[in-house]
Amino acid sequence: MQLLARFARELRPYAKTLLFVGLLTLVSAILSLQIPNIIGDLFDALNERRPIHLPLVFGSLLGIAAALAALGYSMSVTVTFLGQRFMYDMRRTLYGHLQSLSQGFFEKAQTGKLVSTIVNDVGQVNQLITSGFVTVVQDGVTLIGVLFLIFAEDWRLALMALSVYPVYVVNYAVSRRHLRENAAKISELRGVILSDLQEKLAGVQVVKSYAQERAEVRQYTSLNRDNLNLNVEQSKMGTALFVRAEVISAFGTAIVLCVGGNFVINGQLSVGELVAFLLLATTYLYQPTVRLIQLNDQIARTQAGLNRIFELLDTPPLVTGDADAPALPTIRGLIRYENVWFAYEPEQYVLRDINLTVEPGQMIAFVGGSGSGKTTMINLLSRHYDVTEGRLTLDGYDVRSVNLPSLRQQIGVVLQESVLFHTTILENLRYGRLDATDDEVKEAARAANIHHVIEALPDGYDTKIGEDGTKFSVGEKQRMAIARAILADPRILVLDEATSSLDSETEALIQDALDTLMKGRTSFVIAHRLSTIIKADKIVVMDRGEIKEAGTHAQLIEHGGIYARLYAEQFRAELEAVAA
Amino acid sequence: MDNFKRLLRYLKPYRFRVALAVGLMFAVTLSAIPLPLLQKQIVDVAIPLGKKGLAQSANADLLRARQMLIWVFAGIIGLYLARGFVSYTLNALIGWLGQRVVFDLRFQSYRHLQRLSLAYYDGRQPGKIMARLTSDIDVIQYALTSGFVNFITDVATVFIIIGWLLYLEWRLAVIALLILPLYVVNYKLLLGKIREVSVELRERREKMIGTVTEKLAAIAVVKAFVREQYETDYFMQTVRDNFDLGMVQVKLNRFLGATSQVIRMLGTGLLLWYGGALVLRRNLQPGELLAFYGYIGYLYEPAVRLVDFNVQVQWAIAAIDRVFETLDTRPEIIDAPDAVHLPTVRGEVEFRDVTFGYDPEQPVLHNISFHVQPGETIAIVGPSGAGKTTVVNLLARFYDVQRGAVLVDGHDIKGVRLETMRRHIGTVMQETILFSVSLKENIKYGKKDATDAQVIAAAQSADLHDFITSLPDGYETKTGEDGIKLSGGQKQRMAIARAILADPRILILDDATSALDSHTEANVQAALSDLMKGRTNFVIAHRLSTITSADRILVVSEGRVVDSGTHAELVARPGLYQDLYQEQFKTVGELTDAERVRLLTAGAA
Repeated sequence: MQLLARFARELRPYAKTLLFVGLLTLVSAILSLQIPNIIGDLFDALNERRPIHLPLVFGSLLGIAAALAALGYSMSVTVTFLGQRFMYDMRRTLYGHLQSLSQGFFEKAQTGKLVSTIVNDVGQVNQLITSGFVTVVQDGVTLIGVLFLIFAEDWRLALMALSVYPVYVVNYAVSRRHLRENAAKISELRGVILSDLQEKLAGVQVVKSYAQERAEVRQYTSLNRDNLNLNVEQSKMGTALFVRAEVISAFGTAIVLCVGGNFVINGQLSVGELVAFLLLATTYLYQPTVRLIQLNDQIARTQAGLNRIFELLDTPPLVTGDADAPALPTIRGLIRYENVWFAYEPEQYVLRDINLTVEPGQMIAFVGGSGSGKTTMINLLSRHYDVTEGRLTLDGYDVRSVNLPSLRQQIGVVLQESVLFHTTILENLRYGRLDATDDEVKEAARAANIHHVIEALPDGYDTKIGEDGTKFSVGEKQRMAIARAILADPRILVLDEATSSLDSETEALIQDALDTLMKGRTSFVIAHRLSTIIKADKIVVMDRGEIKEAGTHAQLIEHGGIYARLYAEQFRAELEAVAA
Repeated sequence: MDNFKRLLRYLKPYRFRVALAVGLMFAVTLSAIPLPLLQKQIVDVAIPLGKKGLAQSANADLLRARQMLIWVFAGIIGLYLARGFVSYTLNALIGWLGQRVVFDLRFQSYRHLQRLSLAYYDGRQPGKIMARLTSDIDVIQYALTSGFVNFITDVATVFIIIGWLLYLEWRLAVIALLILPLYVVNYKLLLGKIREVSVELRERREKMIGTVTEKLAAIAVVKAFVREQYETDYFMQTVRDNFDLGMVQVKLNRFLGATSQVIRMLGTGLLLWYGGALVLRRNLQPGELLAFYGYIGYLYEPAVRLVDFNVQVQWAIAAIDRVFETLDTRPEIIDAPDAVHLPTVRGEVEFRDVTFGYDPEQPVLHNISFHVQPGETIAIVGPSGAGKTTVVNLLARFYDVQRGAVLVDGHDIKGVRLETMRRHIGTVMQETILFSVSLKENIKYGKKDATDAQVIAAAQSADLHDFITSLPDGYETKTGEDGIKLSGGQKQRMAIARAILADPRILILDDATSALDSHTEANVQAALSDLMKGRTNFVIAHRLSTITSADRILVVSEGRVVDSGTHAELVARPGLYQDLYQEQFKTVGELTDAERVRLLTAGAA
């Protein structure tokens, strides 16, 4: 119930439209209730063979129908517009919220489920609004009007007609819980199926490598079988509810017809009145009631989706950017980690008491085993996470005190896995700076040593990634990612294993470009291949969240500690070859 | 429309149930016929009789009239109980049919997708493929089942009711029938527009899902470039497009509905006008007109539904075409009819004049030939984009060669059952993909029937066991959703453990250790050399230390094998390999001799 109350609150901005629709409904309900009267009068006259102006009956019926059609059309278009508008706003809120959520959220969330919420759950809410809202308003208004009319017509018959109502309520109450529980199961399973599907389609190469196609089909089939059973169950329950409601309506009709017939015999009622009453009872009293009951099935199905939507909206971003925070001015690039502690999970510290000062324009290299905290250092700088203790400053500004986009815009990151989107190469590179000219894009591509590869393609920069039968090697994709970062022209550059998948010759070529790029900027390099970091101004050796050594390559080799040992391990072949 | 006929074939296995559904639907429709008759009975017979009885104090007549009322009451209740029972059975049956067809279609599509080669996936966003499997099939469900059953029943109902009306009172029936063609005209007028919109609508929806899936999966890039606002705007544009067109669809639907309503009242009004005149001229009983008034609904409602069904089919056709397009994509790699099983292989590999391009017009490999003895370790080196990964992709038969042949143990792999072939080949790739299941399940992916002990042994070999047991949930820890975050190195070791467990005869390591720091790499390398023993190995690596121990090195450049030999041979002669080697050497070369010696001793310690 809380859920529906919140849903109602979400609908508040649309109150005016809702009111308008309500008004239209009222008019159309009043109009449509005229039909039974016209028919009733007609039959009264016919029964007594009293002349009646038949063209007038025809004209008024047709007029009412035309008016009802026009009203109905504008009403449903308005309501659909409202539903679509709501869906649009909801998707924007959801997607915007998702974008504001931190990296950490996405590392754990399955893309398929998120997509399912944005696409399917919101779509279902829209359906509830479009069809459900019309039902509630239209049928609600009709019901009230009809109650008024039938009591005015004959209160005894009205009571007779209403005598079946308690049965409706009982009928509904009996199956409500099952319907809702089953519906929740269905939509949950739907999410599971979608995320499984998304994951296996994205990872199809692994599936094929291990020849697991058959097992995957089996798994998918078994999930779908559960889905089949749940859905069949749901439709059975819904049908049973509906069919029972129909039988109850039939009882009501039969009571009215027979008791009313007796009234007519006794002269307490005219035939026309009975006919009108019957029409009112079956079409305008019972049908709306049955529809309102059916609506419950739909609400039940939507509830689980609403739940997920709100749950997603309620997930707080790990890092809350204060929109009013002052923008970070263009920085020189002085970075200070002051007594920084950090843990992803409470108490499990990944960084312990880190103190590090980076001068503007310096190149800093992080070295250490996997899990030593190198990437975390960078994540804190980009403020994907907030420090648990201590502080981190840029040119003296605490990263938490400045506007988040203004901070991240000054930090360019080249990741290990280079992701390119399904669009042209030009668009992909321009992602780094949306207003870059074609020449600037090409310039960046040249700097990243990828221009000649792109030029050699039949469609050049307009080649679509993933289509046109072109497949790029990991090294080529990596160079495009670097070009993208070059184009972004950030104040601080982060290369997180950016060159690890390049062969040494290509790396040497790119390194020249990177050297130019890094000049005058503060840069961070994470690399396992030590050859890339030898000329760093400072090499920081990390182990289990602590800085163990720091200094230049020469100093650390001289020092003969962890770094020297790593170096020797990596270059044993070469060292031995030279020594030999 | 052809595709719709093809779709109907999916109902074929259930034809008896469909027939039963049609029969039941008939029963439900026919069960409505007595109600107006019962009403007529009351108005035309019971009431006049009762009135007469009351007026003339003829108690027998009054009693008979009241009895008649009770019979009518019982009749209605009995009728509706029977009708309720039938309609429940019917709806349950249709619900089952609908779900069953969706199930069959999903099963077929997914099985087909799994058969399609990697080339199919290279060019498509996973989100778009998903859209076809889910929402497109949902749209089809309605048109196919309840729509189709309704269609058959409605067509029959219209004819039966026409016959019944003609029998009851032919003049009134003719009036009622005059209106029917208007429905058809109304529908035909809008048909073109409806078709156009429906195709466009499915495409836009697919695009929306494709976009959102891709961008959410690559959120790291979005965030790295602070493109959150841009992405939101872009996504909203696709939603906006859907919104606008969705409104067009609704307006079309509603317009059709509203006009149908007017047409219906036109018929009803005419009927009452003409019928009323007949009653006044005493050519008709009022009760007969009342019954007719009731029946006319039975004529127009199916007529409206028939139009509606055609519209639904139009909406569904775009979705149907998409699903069949997927089903009709021929897998590029299929087993030949006479493909053989290879229960075991020794691991001899030969490339014979292989030419291949992802786009056949642009070959990536030109006339590659080499021969590998069982148990040999082959390193493939070369600049990025040279075709190294393509060579191993062809060996795993992710793609088929355009010219030449790849042979394993002397069998052309095109003639070997794909599944048995791939089981002998293990691949550890550059980018590791883990699924959202437990660590154990992930490791077992290559060998689903492995025992726990085997899993642990594999994890130990990949230097992962200690890490995993240090987790609170150990091997049951989930990755992905609600699971733990693994570092790049940990993920790669997971992939290695997976390959170790699968125990293939031919092992492909495509830059498998690039994400490992040198300390871990040394540990894993030890595990890998154990693993590689007795197998045929293909190693793609950029680090020389991983390559020097290979039995043979193939130097690849621009799609050709330009040189091959042992490390010692290759480094001795001028060429690409020597260049690559010296490049890596630079750093060591700059050290003094004393430093080198000290480093070597430190490293040995």
